[in-house]
Amino acid sequence: MAVILGRARAVVGQNVPKVDGIPLATGQPKFTLDLDFPGALVGKILYSPHAHAEILAIDTSEAERVPGVACILHYGNVPRVPYTTAGQGWPEPSPYDTVLFDRKVRYVGDRVAAVAAETEEAALEALQKIRVEYRILPAVFTIDEALAPGAPIIHDEPDAQGIYDPQRNIAAAVDIPIGDLARGFAESDVIVEETCEIPYSQHCALEPHCVLAYFDEDGRLVLRTSTQVPFHVRRIVSRVLGIPLSRIRVVKPRIGGGFGSKQEVILEPVAAALALRTGRPVRMALTREEVLVSTRTRHPYRVRVKLGAKRDGTLHALEMEALGNTGAYGAHAGTVLYNVGSKSLPLYNKARHLRFHGKAVYTNLPVAGAYRGYGATQAFFALEVAMDELAEKLGMDPLELRLKNHIREGESSPIFEKLGEGREGKAQIIRSCKLAEALRIGAERIGWYEKRRNPRREGPWAYGVGLACAMQGSGITGIDMAAATLLMNEDGSFRLLVGATDLGTGSDTVLAQIAAEALGVPVEKVLVYSSDTDFTPFDTGAYASSTTYVSGNAVLRAAEEVKRQILEVAAEMLEEPVEGLVLERERVVSRRTGRSVSLAEVGHRATYVANQRQIGATASFACPESPPPFAAFFCEVAVDTETGVVRVERFVVVADCGQPIHPKLAEGQLEGAVVQGIGHALYEELLFSERGSCVNRSFFDYRIPTALDVPEIEAILVPSEEPTGPFGAKSIAEVGINGPLPAISNAIYHAVGVRLTRAPFTPERVLAALKAKGR
Amino acid sequence: MRLRGVRRYHWARDVDEALSLLAAYQGKGALLAGGVDLARSPRTDLEGLIDITGIGLTYLRAEAAGLRLGATTTLAEVLGHPQAEGYAGGILRETLRQVAYPALRHMATLGGAVVSAHPWADIPTLLVALGAEVRYRSAEGEKRAPLEDLYGTDFRRVFRESVLLEVVLPAWAGAFAFEKIGRNAGDIALLNVCAGLGLVEGRIAWARVAVGGRPERGERLPWLEGMLVGERPSPALWERAAEEVRARLEVGSDRRASAEWRREVAGVLVRRALLRAAGKAALCASTSS
Repeated sequence: MAVILGRARAVVGQNVPKVDGIPLATGQPKFTLDLDFPGALVGKILYSPHAHAEILAIDTSEAERVPGVACILHYGNVPRVPYTTAGQGWPEPSPYDTVLFDRKVRYVGDRVAAVAAETEEAALEALQKIRVEYRILPAVFTIDEALAPGAPIIHDEPDAQGIYDPQRNIAAAVDIPIGDLARGFAESDVIVEETCEIPYSQHCALEPHCVLAYFDEDGRLVLRTSTQVPFHVRRIVSRVLGIPLSRIRVVKPRIGGGFGSKQEVILEPVAAALALRTGRPVRMALTREEVLVSTRTRHPYRVRVKLGAKRDGTLHALEMEALGNTGAYGAHAGTVLYNVGSKSLPLYNKARHLRFHGKAVYTNLPVAGAYRGYGATQAFFALEVAMDELAEKLGMDPLELRLKNHIREGESSPIFEKLGEGREGKAQIIRSCKLAEALRIGAERIGWYEKRRNPRREGPWAYGVGLACAMQGSGITGIDMAAATLLMNEDGSFRLLVGATDLGTGSDTVLAQIAAEALGVPVEKVLVYSSDTDFTPFDTGAYASSTTYVSGNAVLRAAEEVKRQILEVAAEMLEEPVEGLVLERERVVSRRTGRSVSLAEVGHRATYVANQRQIGATASFACPESPPPFAAFFCEVAVDTETGVVRVERFVVVADCGQPIHPKLAEGQLEGAVVQGIGHALYEELLFSERGSCVNRSFFDYRIPTALDVPEIEAILVPSEEPTGPFGAKSIAEVGINGPLPAISNAIYHAVGVRLTRAPFTPERVLAALKAKGR
Repeated sequence: MRLRGVRRYHWARDVDEALSLLAAYQGKGALLAGGVDLARSPRTDLEGLIDITGIGLTYLRAEAAGLRLGATTTLAEVLGHPQAEGYAGGILRETLRQVAYPALRHMATLGGAVVSAHPWADIPTLLVALGAEVRYRSAEGEKRAPLEDLYGTDFRRVFRESVLLEVVLPAWAGAFAFEKIGRNAGDIALLNVCAGLGLVEGRIAWARVAVGGRPERGERLPWLEGMLVGERPSPALWERAAEEVRARLEVGSDRRASAEWRREVAGVLVRRALLRAAGKAALCASTSS
C-alpha cells in the first residue's frame, strides 16, 4: 500500500526482487529435507500419554526386534545434561530444567524415547512396542492450581539450575517498583483496572520442524536444520552431547517460517544423538500434530493493568501484573516475562509511578516458548484495552489519549534501565519516533472521527472501530552480536557471508541491499550466503527483531571497510589520493579529472596484477541499544448481535520502522503479523482434556486464518531516521502482532458495548458477553 | 501414517466389479472416489482400495422431476454446473460454496459426503431438507430410499456393502436458503440450517427445515414445518419459529460450542433462513405467474 518514502537512495528503500525469489517460486530444492541421503535412518519420537508421571521402567526388547530398527534412546542410555531448549545468547537466561530424556514426564506430549529405523513404518512400529511403566502423579493445568499450596512439584529434580522457586512451581519472577505507586494512584483523578487473558496458541509455520544429521568425510557432525539460531544449535548440541564445538557444523538452508518456534533447539540434539549412536545419517521431520503439541507455543498470560490518570488525561500511575504459564519447561520463561513489561511500559512514559511484577509458572501442559511479539503481545492486549477504558472514563477520544501520553523523540523511560532480558537492562533514549504521525495517518485512512461519532448498524450487524498502539525493540541490548564477511570477486561482484538467518523474512535481500547501497552496486552484484557455522561468521540468530538492525549494521560496517580498500586500489590505478575519489554506479571516479576505473578493473588488479590481495572485511556489531519500532493499529469490525460472530472488515496498520530497506518486505511483515493477530483474536486456542491432553491437535479443529479470512489490510510505513540503524532502519518483524487483539477488542466495544478480555473472541464468548450485558 | 495396511489399488470398470471386489475383501476393502475422508481415516485394517471414479457415476442431469447427481460428481462440478444454478432457489450453489475450500471441493464427491455423513457436515443437512433420495446397489440388487429414512437406520453398514449410485433431488415449487456458522472460512459447521418453503396465494404451502451440527447430524424439524404450513410469511411468524426452535430443538455441547449457544443461535439461523427462503420463493412465485 501507500508508502511515504524517505530519502531517495539507489538500492535501499527500493523494492528489488528478492535474492532467493526465483528459486523459491520455481520450487528449487532449497529446504532442509530437499537434500536426500540414501540410506538415512528415520528418527521418530515416543511421547508421554500422561500429564505428570514417573517412569518406573522402559522395556525396549520387543521394539528392538522390529526389523530395521537401528537404535532406541531413552533416559537409561543417554547422558543426563540439564539444559534449556531456548536458543538464546550467553549466559543463557532460561532455566536448565530439561534433559534429553528424563525419568519423569511433565505433560502429555513430553519426550520419552526416540527410535531410528530404516523406514518410517519400522520406526512407528517400534514406538508402539516400547513398553513404558509409569507411576502417575497428580498434575496441575492452570496457573492458580500450580501456585496453590500443596500443589505437586513439577521440577523436583535436584540437578535443575536457574529455576526461581521450584518448590512453588515458579520458573521466573519479577517485581520492579518505580516511584511510589500508592501515592501515584492516590494523586490520580481517574483510575481503571482491567485483566486480559491469552490462551495457548501455536506458530503454525508452514514447514514443520525438521533436521538431517550426518557425518561428513572428516567425521564431523553436520546438522542441516530448519532453525532460527544455527550458532545456538551448535553450542547447545555441543554441550548436551559432549562433542567439541569444532566437531559440529550447522547448516541453515531456506526455512519455511519460524515465528519463534525455531528459536528452540528441539529436534537437533535428538537427531544428533541418534546419528552418533548409529554412525548413520538420520532424518527427522515432525508431523503437524507433533508441532502443535510437542514443540513450543505462545506463553498463555493473564495480565492485569491498573492505570491512574490526571483529569487532563496524563497518565500518572501504572501497575502491570503478569501471570504467565510456561508449561512443563521454562523455555524463555523469564525473558518473555521481563519483555511483557520492557516492551510495553516505555510506550507511555508519562506515568511517574510504576510497578511491574509477575511470575512465570510451570504447569503440566505443553511448553511455551518464543513467539513473535514475545510478551509484548500479551502486554499490549491488556494495556491497550485498559487505555480504551481510561479514555471512556475521561470522556476523551482514545486517539487523543494516546497522543497525550506516548513517548517522543529525545525522551526515555526508566523501564529501559530496570528491565532487560531476564535481568536489568540498559538506559536508552528514543532517537526516532513517528507514532504521532502514524496515529494521524491511520485515523484518516480508517475514517476514525466520523466512524466513532456515527457507528453504523445494519440489521443485526453492529459496526465499530477501535485502535491500539504498540512498540517492540530492535535486537537485544548488550547481548546480540552479528558479524558479516564481505569479499570482492575479481569481476567486481561481492560475496556476502552472514550468520544472520533468513527464515523466510527476506533478510538475505535486505542485507544484500545494505551492502549494495554502501558499495554503489546493484543488488545482483552481491551474492548472499546465510547461514552455515563453518563458513559464515557468528550471529546470535533471527529473533528479537534483530536482523535488519544488528546484522544490518554489521554488514554496513564490513561494506564500509571494503569500500575503503577498493578506493585504495583505485587510488593506485588513478594515481590520485583516496580523498579525491568517489564510488558510484560500479565505478571509482576522480572528482578532479572525471577519470574512472570500474570495480571489475579494481577487482582484477587486486587479484592478479599488482599489490595482490583479497579485498574483503569481516565486521561485527554488538547491539548497544534497541531502538523500538512503533505502530498504530486501526480496525473496523462488524458484530452479529444475534449470534456473536465477529467479522474484521478492515484493518489499517501504520508503522515507523525507521527507513524501510525494502518497503514491500516490511509491509509484508506487517500484513502477516496482523493476520496472525486476527487468528489470535478470533479463533486460535489449543484446548485440553481434563487429563491435560490437547484435543484439537490438527488444523481441522485448530483454526488459523486462511487467505479467505483476510480482510482488507492497509499497511503503511511512516519512515523516521534512526541514527543508530543501518541507513536509518529499525525493526519491523514483531511489532505488527501486538495490535490486533486490543484493536479488535476495542472495536467490538465500540460496536456493541461489551469488553472482550479473554481471547479468542469466539461467537460463544461474544454472545455470552452481550447477554450478560442485557443487549 | 494413515492407511498403512493398504496393499492393493483397483480401478473398477463398472458397478458390478466394484461390488465383487468389495465383497472379496470381506470388510477390508474401501471404495475410493474423492478420497477426502479416506485420507483422514484412522483405519489400519484396510487392505484394498477400489477406485470408482471410472464407473460412470460422474454426472448431473436435470429432469422434470428434479436433478439426478451421480455419486462421484465432485462438489466443484456441482457448483459449476449450469443446471444446478437455478435449482430450488440456487440452494446447491449457496450451500456448496460454504463447504471446505476450493481445493478440497475439487476432490470431495457428493456421494462421499452422503456416505460419511459427518454430524458437523453441511451436505447431510442440505440433502435431508431437500428430501433427497439415494439409489444404491448391493449384492441383493438395486434399492432406492429417502436419505432421511436411511439415516434413521444402520446406514453405515448398508454403505459398507453397497455402491452409492446417485442422489435424486425432487423438484420444488419454492425455494431454499442455507445458513451456517463456522469458526472461519472453510470450517465445518458449529451449526447449520437449511430451510425451504413454497407459497400458494400468499400462504405457505409446504415447509422444510433441517438443522445440523447440533452437534448431531442434520435432521428435519417436522413440528416446526407443521407450524408454518398455512401461515402467511411475516416477521412475526419467523420470530415465532425462532422461539419454537429455541424451546424444542435438541442440542448438545462439544468442544466447539455449548448447547446454550447452539440453542440460542439455531433459532436465529432458522429465522434468517426462512426469511430468505420466503423472499426467494415469493420471487419464484411472481416470475412463474
